[in-house]
Amino acid sequence: MPDNWSFVAAAYGLAAIVFLGYWRRLGRKEREITALRADRGSHQPSRTGHPRPDAASRAPLP
Amino acid sequence: MRYARRALIVAWKDLVVERRSKETLNALLFFSLALLFVFQFTLGPDRERLAAVLPGVLWLGFILSGVLGLGRTFLVERDNDCWEALLLAPGDKSAVYVGKLAASLALMLVVEAIVLALFTLFFNVDLGPALPGLALVIVLGTLGIAAVGALFAAMTAQVRTRELLFPVLLLPVLVPVLLGTVKATEALLLREPLASVAHWWQLLVAADVVYVVAGLLTFDVLLEG
Amino acid sequence: MVKVLGWLAVVGIAAGLTMGSAVAPREVTQGNVQRIMYLHVPAVWVAYLAFIVGFVASVVYLARRRDTADRLAHAACEVGTVFLGVNIATGAIWGKPTWGTWWTWDARLTSVAVVFVMFLAYLLLRQAVEDPERGARYAAVLGIVAALNIPLVHFSVYWWRTLHQPPSLLKPGTSAMPPSILAALLINFAALALLGAYFIARRARVLAAEAEALA
Repeated sequence: MPDNWSFVAAAYGLAAIVFLGYWRRLGRKEREITALRADRGSHQPSRTGHPRPDAASRAPLP
Repeated sequence: MRYARRALIVAWKDLVVERRSKETLNALLFFSLALLFVFQFTLGPDRERLAAVLPGVLWLGFILSGVLGLGRTFLVERDNDCWEALLLAPGDKSAVYVGKLAASLALMLVVEAIVLALFTLFFNVDLGPALPGLALVIVLGTLGIAAVGALFAAMTAQVRTRELLFPVLLLPVLVPVLLGTVKATEALLLREPLASVAHWWQLLVAADVVYVVAGLLTFDVLLEG
Repeated sequence: MVKVLGWLAVVGIAAGLTMGSAVAPREVTQGNVQRIMYLHVPAVWVAYLAFIVGFVASVVYLARRRDTADRLAHAACEVGTVFLGVNIATGAIWGKPTWGTWWTWDARLTSVAVVFVMFLAYLLLRQAVEDPERGARYAAVLGIVAALNIPLVHFSVYWWRTLHQPPSLLKPGTSAMPPSILAALLINFAALALLGAYFIARRARVLAAEAEALA
């Protein structure tokens, strides 16, 4: 039976694309949330004088 | 037996509403009739081919009618501002599930009986000795459809995309029921004894048990808000 | 924790790829196209493991109403669906040279396809319900019903395909697997399981961040 390496490559390639795509989707969501937090942080100045944690002081998502 | 009484009240209310308006019953009957014609036209006049696909076509009709009818089970409450009444119902809310299930089951069985009669007429099928076995398979299958349907109907009643989401949720879950009923019906129409398809109707029983128990245990979670 | 899982997954994948492409021998009957199995089979194992995790998390959520359980259920079912999609796609790619067709309604492909659609519907439900608390409750119920349905689907489809039919050429499960092939399979399973765990952990973390940001 012929070896059909192209099919093997196609299968692994497809899986790589799917997994990489999912990984990037996760990264994109994380960036959106960080941006959302930064947005919130800059629009809400502290009222009481107690330091309000803003986006910059939060540990960034690794 | 307050639980049974509450279930009965819900079932009775649904059936009385249905008996007065006959909204759902008529719609389902006409839908099934329309399906019958569509099947005839799309499958062509070849008698043998029709006879071969008859079990599948019959259950396709039952399931599609079920999707239509079951999707509406909770609309009566939603549209008439009675949803909160369901939420405030005292005691174990799974009684509501049993009531809804019983009413849907009764309604579906009535429609199915009429459709079956029409099918035998239009496709010239002789049911004869197959009838008792067929009746059992129809009851078991419809119970499965209604059990999952009532649960998913409660889930989708308040969702905006209900008409689309309900069939999408229901149909894949009902694949075992569809397979079991079609294979059993096929065998019965070929005059094979019920015992020869024991694994199929046992699968239906197992599926029914799983679905009804799951429904009983999880329904009141759906009615929390 | 998520980072550790991620790096472990990378190591695992490297090991798995080495095993699958170089170390494992060329299969006797199918040729090298059989190497797709090192991806295809572990993917479905990981997917089903993920759905089981989703099932347990859903039950825990209904019992305890902890948001972490809800997020774990959501993440697990989503990642499981992704892996199942990979399984189906790689199965089709393997099927073309082996069986001559991209798709066939054989028992395992069909069962997996049905389960895939069930959990796609789960993800659709998650998107459709706007209120997060209600969405969590509804999804938990669906996650439980869908997971319980998996064995029913497999049994019914298997009987549908194998009863009253001549035995198919490819019987499920090989009789004797050379140890190097088994080893490659297990190592790839470990690799994909680590990848799956990493995805689930990171997805759950994203869900937590979303919930906090939108609160």
